[in-house]
Amino acid sequence: MKVKARISRRSFLGSGLAGTVAASVIGERPAEAAQDFQGYPDAMGVIVDLTRCVGCRSCEAACNKEQKLPQPAEPFNDYSVFDHTHHGQKRRTDETRYTVVNKYELPEIDHPLFRKIQCNHCNEPACLTSCFVNAYTKTPEGAVIYNPKVCVGCRTCMVACPFYIPAFRYSSAFHARIMKCIFCYDTRLKYGKPPACVEACPQEALTFGKRRELLDLAHHRIRENPGRYVDYVYGEHEVGGTSWMYLSGVDFDKVGMDMHLPKEPILKFVKDFLAIVPMVLTIWPALFAGIHLLATRKDTGTAEGNDENGEG
Amino acid sequence: MKHIISDVPAIPIVSHEKPDGSRWTIREKLLLGLSPSEYRAQFIRNPVNWLLICIFAVGIPIIIQRYLFGLASVTHASNDYPWGLFLGFGLFGMVPLSASGFMLGTTVEVFGRKDFHPIERLALLNGLLGYFFAVVYLEVDLGMPWRLPYPMFVSLGPAAVLFLVAWHVATYLSVQIAELVPAFCEWYGWLKGKRFIRSIILGLTIAGIILSTLHQGALGALFTYAPGKVHPLWYSDAFQWIHFFCSSIFAGLSMLIVASTLCKYFMRWRCDERFLDSVDRLTLGLGKGCAYAMITYLVIKIVAVAHDNEYAYLLTGWGQYYLLELGIGVVLPMFLFAYGVKHARVGLVRFAAVISALGIIWNRINTALIAFNWDLYQEIPHWKEVWITITIYSLYFITYRFILYRLPILYEWKGAK
Amino acid sequence: MQRGNHVTQAALTAALAALLFLPAPGRAMDATDAPESIEIDSMSELYGPVSFDHLMHTEIAQCAQCHHHTTGTGPASPFCGRCHDGAEEAESVACTDCHPVRRFYADYLMTLEDPELYHIDKPGLKGAYHLNCRGCHAKVGGPTGCQDCHLMTEAGEKRFDTGQFAPAAAGERVRAHH
Repeated sequence: MKVKARISRRSFLGSGLAGTVAASVIGERPAEAAQDFQGYPDAMGVIVDLTRCVGCRSCEAACNKEQKLPQPAEPFNDYSVFDHTHHGQKRRTDETRYTVVNKYELPEIDHPLFRKIQCNHCNEPACLTSCFVNAYTKTPEGAVIYNPKVCVGCRTCMVACPFYIPAFRYSSAFHARIMKCIFCYDTRLKYGKPPACVEACPQEALTFGKRRELLDLAHHRIRENPGRYVDYVYGEHEVGGTSWMYLSGVDFDKVGMDMHLPKEPILKFVKDFLAIVPMVLTIWPALFAGIHLLATRKDTGTAEGNDENGEG
Repeated sequence: MKHIISDVPAIPIVSHEKPDGSRWTIREKLLLGLSPSEYRAQFIRNPVNWLLICIFAVGIPIIIQRYLFGLASVTHASNDYPWGLFLGFGLFGMVPLSASGFMLGTTVEVFGRKDFHPIERLALLNGLLGYFFAVVYLEVDLGMPWRLPYPMFVSLGPAAVLFLVAWHVATYLSVQIAELVPAFCEWYGWLKGKRFIRSIILGLTIAGIILSTLHQGALGALFTYAPGKVHPLWYSDAFQWIHFFCSSIFAGLSMLIVASTLCKYFMRWRCDERFLDSVDRLTLGLGKGCAYAMITYLVIKIVAVAHDNEYAYLLTGWGQYYLLELGIGVVLPMFLFAYGVKHARVGLVRFAAVISALGIIWNRINTALIAFNWDLYQEIPHWKEVWITITIYSLYFITYRFILYRLPILYEWKGAK
Repeated sequence: MQRGNHVTQAALTAALAALLFLPAPGRAMDATDAPESIEIDSMSELYGPVSFDHLMHTEIAQCAQCHHHTTGTGPASPFCGRCHDGAEEAESVACTDCHPVRRFYADYLMTLEDPELYHIDKPGLKGAYHLNCRGCHAKVGGPTGCQDCHLMTEAGEKRFDTGQFAPAAAGERVRAHH
């Protein structure tokens, strides 16, 4: 139902904007637009358990091969890459890697912590809602996939993504495209297989399953292991909920995770503006035509008669 | 230019007919009635052209490099700062400065202020070229520039703000071209087209207001996709689009004052008496509009800070930078405008316009680049990115000048209308 | 994997007892019944098999630390003990009998939908090995490097772009790492 409501809202906006007028359609909007998309019921997801990750980079290697990404500059068992920084920032996804593990050394803990990053596959993704050519799709399996055939390369998705995930293939003039984790959708997810990184993880730091069941599992794990975890599932509510979620033994912001993200989908912040579009489209013509009639009345008495005065 | 023009009595061309009664050919009109050698001589004599040649000598090869080897060859290829100067300046800066077209169109055609007529075409041209070159900047920046029409015809994402921007800029470009068709028709001598446009000018103007309101606002609303990335002082989910729309009003008017000033002092030979006699008075009128728009903008800016309760940020370094931007970019020119208008000091109003135009560019670059990723790090653009930005702007300048030299923008066509 | 169905009363050695938290009640398998060493190779692909010295591990750890509640002693974790204390010795004590290799494939995930199921968080075989072995090693100071237990195969070198498949520029640096 919700999915349908969303689609009709989208197609409504299409007709509304593309046609520029069509006031009759605009009346249908509010009830449906007010709903947020909560995610597909059977969407898959992953719990990343930071207490289990040992920083072996097996997931990075597996992703590289599965997605046929370019050979890395350093081998995947070279752990000096954890010290690489860019403008003081730890490694992030780019056109050569869809996932990255970073190391965090905290004074209060005697061993380093590791955190994997990749696309979190939001329930209501900002990249998708900001894309003006519909290059992104949230599949019922939970993956946020990308269609390079229609992408224009405007990179609004990169601006919109609160997790700084989509990267651009800047290095090519003719084969530029967005590069991002697609949950191994084409090759694995849609055949009922876990993504390559999950399969590769020796520590089972990545637990794959239905998102709704994973939430149970995450809270179960917190409950049954007192003291091991911070009582918070990152991604349960962040930006409207994500398919990939995190468990941690330390506060999430200490391992580089943004704890200030809104709990609503990014789209919510844009809706204020989207709501005024139909108003401007319908009210402005009448308003300004009326002003015109008032403003020019004393000259000629009619708007038509005014035209020859305007000769330049 | 001036010297050659003053040597030849028939130039500047303001009519289809030469003094002897024969008609100027299109080629003669293109060369301003000069012979090719005279034209070349006037071109070389102008030191501005030498500067432009230097800019292009470096800039054109870099642009070719960008199209052959990708954006990474001319920018820092940052994934954290997906939008650099091309959009920060070229799109977000050029578009508000080009709001003059719809502002003056509204003033003259809708509000019936015929006294602004002498400057209306300059405003329309300023608008058209600004938008056109914003698209040129976009074409440099887009990863796949050959797919520019995709959002219109191939794969539509109508719920996206950028979709609005794309459609509205595209249709508004068409509207502005249509609004300038009369000038071209007069010059070219195709009067049917001109009369047709006159008959629909009110509709075009109102379409222009709608489209401008929406896409000026939409450019601001684009940043509401990044609520956590833009510094809270430059960000407001409720007011972002109003800030952008409202500031575009005085940005467009200021740019028009700047353009008309340049025309008055550096292109006097091309202006007619009607323009020269009225430009000072109209500048004061525009300055008044700026002052009103600025106070409105300032109030909404303060309301936004109050609405999100961001006073604490004002005490930080970012807050001081924010106040500096508002102080120099808005408050200062606002008072200069007000004082200049009240005491009929045209020079002061022109000075204020320069500051305010620069202030708007500053604001847009702040929003798109400086205050963006404010708690991450600051990206300094690659020199080639800067150079390309300047090169495209030079191209804009040349095109602007080329049209002003020829079409009846600053003067009234004396020939058949 | 190790097999054994020999049952006797528990008579633990003094050395072992020192390591135990509590003496296990009830019947239990004797550690000496088990094989001395085991080749763990059921999933070896990127890494070669692990040659597991079972005998040595029986001397330093309690059966239940790995076999949980299947060897007749109560589980090491009091949490598991809530249900499994006093559990009978199982017919088979192989890890793979409970921990699935294809833990995240659709066929297994289906079985998790059973509302009666308590063990919604049972690791797969690979996870079980690493979490248990490496987890304990980290605690007691055992080896924790990947190749301390299993050597990387050629397929592994290919996967990790290392060894003979190392990127040209990085060849030298890799050798320092395991």
